[in-house]
Amino acid sequence: MKTCDILLTGVGGQGVVTLGDLIARAALAADVPVAYVPSKGMAQRGGFVKVEIRLGQEAAGPRISAKGADLVLAMERSESLKGIAFVKPEGRFVLYDHVWEPTGVLLGEHEYPAQSNVLSALQESCREVVCLNPADRPSFDQQPVAANIYALGALAGSEALQTMIDSCMLQEAVVTRWPKAAESNLAAYQAGFVKGNQPIGQFLGDARNTTLERS
Amino acid sequence: MTKRILTGNEAVALGALRAGVKVATGYPGTPSTGCIAHLLTMNLPDRHVEWSTNEKVAFEIAAGAAWAGHRALCTMKMSGVNVAYDALISIAYSGTNGGFVIYVADDPGVSAGMPEQDTRGFALMSQLPMLEPSTPQESYDLVQRAFELSERTGAPVFLRSTTAIALGHAPMTPEASVAPREIEPILEKDIHRYTKAGSVICKDQHRESMQRLQQAGIVVQEMELNELSLASSSGGVGVISVGATTPYLDAALQSVDASTRAGISTLRARTTIPFPWAEAEQLLGHCETLLVLEELEPHVERGFYVAAQRLGFSNRIIGKMDGTLSPIGEYGPAEIRRGLEACGLVMDSDSAAHPSREQTEVVLARGDGLCSAPRPITVCAGCPHRGSYLAIEAAIKAAGFDKDEVMVTGDIGCTILGMNPPFDLLWNEVSMGSSVSLAQGYVHAGLQTPVIATIGDSTFFHGGIPGLINAIQHRTPLTLVVMDNGWTSMTGMQVNPGTDIEFQDAGRRVDIEAVIRGLGPDRVDVVDAYDLGGMTRTLTEALVQDGVKVVLAQRECVIQARRRGVLAGTTSVDADACVLCKRCLKITGCPALGVAMDGESIVIDPALCNGCGLCVRFCPTGALSHAVPEGAGT
Repeated sequence: MKTCDILLTGVGGQGVVTLGDLIARAALAADVPVAYVPSKGMAQRGGFVKVEIRLGQEAAGPRISAKGADLVLAMERSESLKGIAFVKPEGRFVLYDHVWEPTGVLLGEHEYPAQSNVLSALQESCREVVCLNPADRPSFDQQPVAANIYALGALAGSEALQTMIDSCMLQEAVVTRWPKAAESNLAAYQAGFVKGNQPIGQFLGDARNTTLERS
Repeated sequence: MTKRILTGNEAVALGALRAGVKVATGYPGTPSTGCIAHLLTMNLPDRHVEWSTNEKVAFEIAAGAAWAGHRALCTMKMSGVNVAYDALISIAYSGTNGGFVIYVADDPGVSAGMPEQDTRGFALMSQLPMLEPSTPQESYDLVQRAFELSERTGAPVFLRSTTAIALGHAPMTPEASVAPREIEPILEKDIHRYTKAGSVICKDQHRESMQRLQQAGIVVQEMELNELSLASSSGGVGVISVGATTPYLDAALQSVDASTRAGISTLRARTTIPFPWAEAEQLLGHCETLLVLEELEPHVERGFYVAAQRLGFSNRIIGKMDGTLSPIGEYGPAEIRRGLEACGLVMDSDSAAHPSREQTEVVLARGDGLCSAPRPITVCAGCPHRGSYLAIEAAIKAAGFDKDEVMVTGDIGCTILGMNPPFDLLWNEVSMGSSVSLAQGYVHAGLQTPVIATIGDSTFFHGGIPGLINAIQHRTPLTLVVMDNGWTSMTGMQVNPGTDIEFQDAGRRVDIEAVIRGLGPDRVDVVDAYDLGGMTRTLTEALVQDGVKVVLAQRECVIQARRRGVLAGTTSVDADACVLCKRCLKITGCPALGVAMDGESIVIDPALCNGCGLCVRFCPTGALSHAVPEGAGT
């Protein structure tokens, strides 16, 4: 059976753990073996959060090896760097380029990584990088849609995941979880799905110099 | 039953229900919390489930129920075993009547703080059998076998998990739960069995406990818990895997070619204690080289050295003792690969390209200095502890001392976050309740400055009270700040003895103030942790006064308060008046404070701010303001 290892990173409060749960539920519905482990650390909010998901292996150990993740989704720019060691060279990296500066950065005590440096680091690490600009996040009923569902849509647009779990199953997991917010979440998911099919750069030799398409 | 996704902790809970458990007790501690927490979400009228005051209490309650003939479960994180062990060794000597399972989750890699101790050492010390699942599904299966093993041997049995299994999620299909047995409680008066008063009694019990472990070896064989698979040809590699390493080994063996794989023997060890002698003998006789894969201490590996010596073998044993693998940190695919390569097996890709998990977590392999911004954990926006830290700091200054000359001991739980910036207030963290006693040692050592101890409410109930009694009895001058937020918060908001009565199953709460006053310290003050001025004044007085002073700083955990819809107030910024000095941010470090998009002023994230108003006090221009809704606050 095919397998797909997914790493999610972000900051507490961004809905990263929820995404892990949704993907696992969709896998269960699709009868795909799944194991996942969230690492929340000690902070309720504002700390580093990571979820490791392994699809397609019966009774898998939940930890992904270095350079073992087919897909990485980072919900925060600075925390995306922690995914670099895990992404496969032939894998795909989705960055929802939210900037959440910790206090030390706001006070000028620490550096916060620049977008261009982060994107080039991501592009060196793997074949495909998708960068979602938070400003592009659509609105529904004059409210911005859920960022994590928007990002989930972009993740679902990748072939590695589609071959494991049909996109319908992921959407169903979202709708089942929040039936009242179904329309808004589906709008988020679908907008993300479209963006997910527009990688900004494919690192194939001189593609390194591809101009970053940013709106 | 339908297929669901469950954590290892939940699997243990459901497996225990399947086994007909009657009494389940525990004390919260990551990564074990989810077991009792899950049981408490269920309606279980014919069973008793509780969060106990501490692990020793939890253990003794479960032991009593098991002595009375029922199946009992007790849960804790590895640190809790240290607390329970005094009772545990005595119960191990006496044995049990009903099945008695102690579920412990170890934390290799330290996801949540505290020493990386390996609980298997406690099972060895107490000569109790221990089963070790390798997946959430096995946790469900093995907890049931553990009850059976306990009853067939008369020994309490450990079930030992680790973080990746306890917090790991996997689909499984739990079966219907089974009601506890309907029996009359056993009342057996036998001081030879149930007391420790006398040499004969204790030596007999020691002998009996050894016999129970020996019996467990036989029962474990009958249950076929340890899975041995010998290669058709001898002289090859044998791999012994324990706990979380087993699934990684299975995956790694998929990546060696079929003929090589056929030459590898494996032992999936599910019992470190009792040591699988029969399987070890077969492996030693069949294989040239043995690889032992186990997280933390080399307990099984040592067993193989002993077995080899006893049986006259001289195999090459690869593991930690030859330096191939480390006793530090959690194992993932990289460690398994390193072990296999040390056996001379060729893996599908270059191992050098696979740094260990520790390396990938700590260092990014980049030469250009690009790295994530540090994100030290801090207390939540609106956390009352922030007020306590700021008041302690202000009081130290107001009493004429420097922060660097005043010992402030820390304790376990959210309250320890005062060790981090911007507070940098706490000097140490040892174990539940240690802050109060450690402080007394500093006083007796002759410190001329005031000594302050800090502790949370649940930690105070758990282990802080004896230390306070001691200080009062010996008139040891110190100031104890009890930061009472009404919940056991660090582990995810569990109910403790002092939690609001609304959340108490039995409709009773223990009045922490009455407990403190009842002990008779020289001074007791009750303050609001959000009232920075008042708390600072009180603390300043306490610091310069002789005797044992207790300041009880009360205010509900902000996470719980928000869940209940309690907002302390509203804080707002006048962007025109803000000069962006960032004093508010520098002093409080509150995650709700940020800098506006235009870079001109401070902004407050309304989704995070609970309106505690602490930041307002540090604004030099009056740009921050605070409004308290009617009927709120103190």
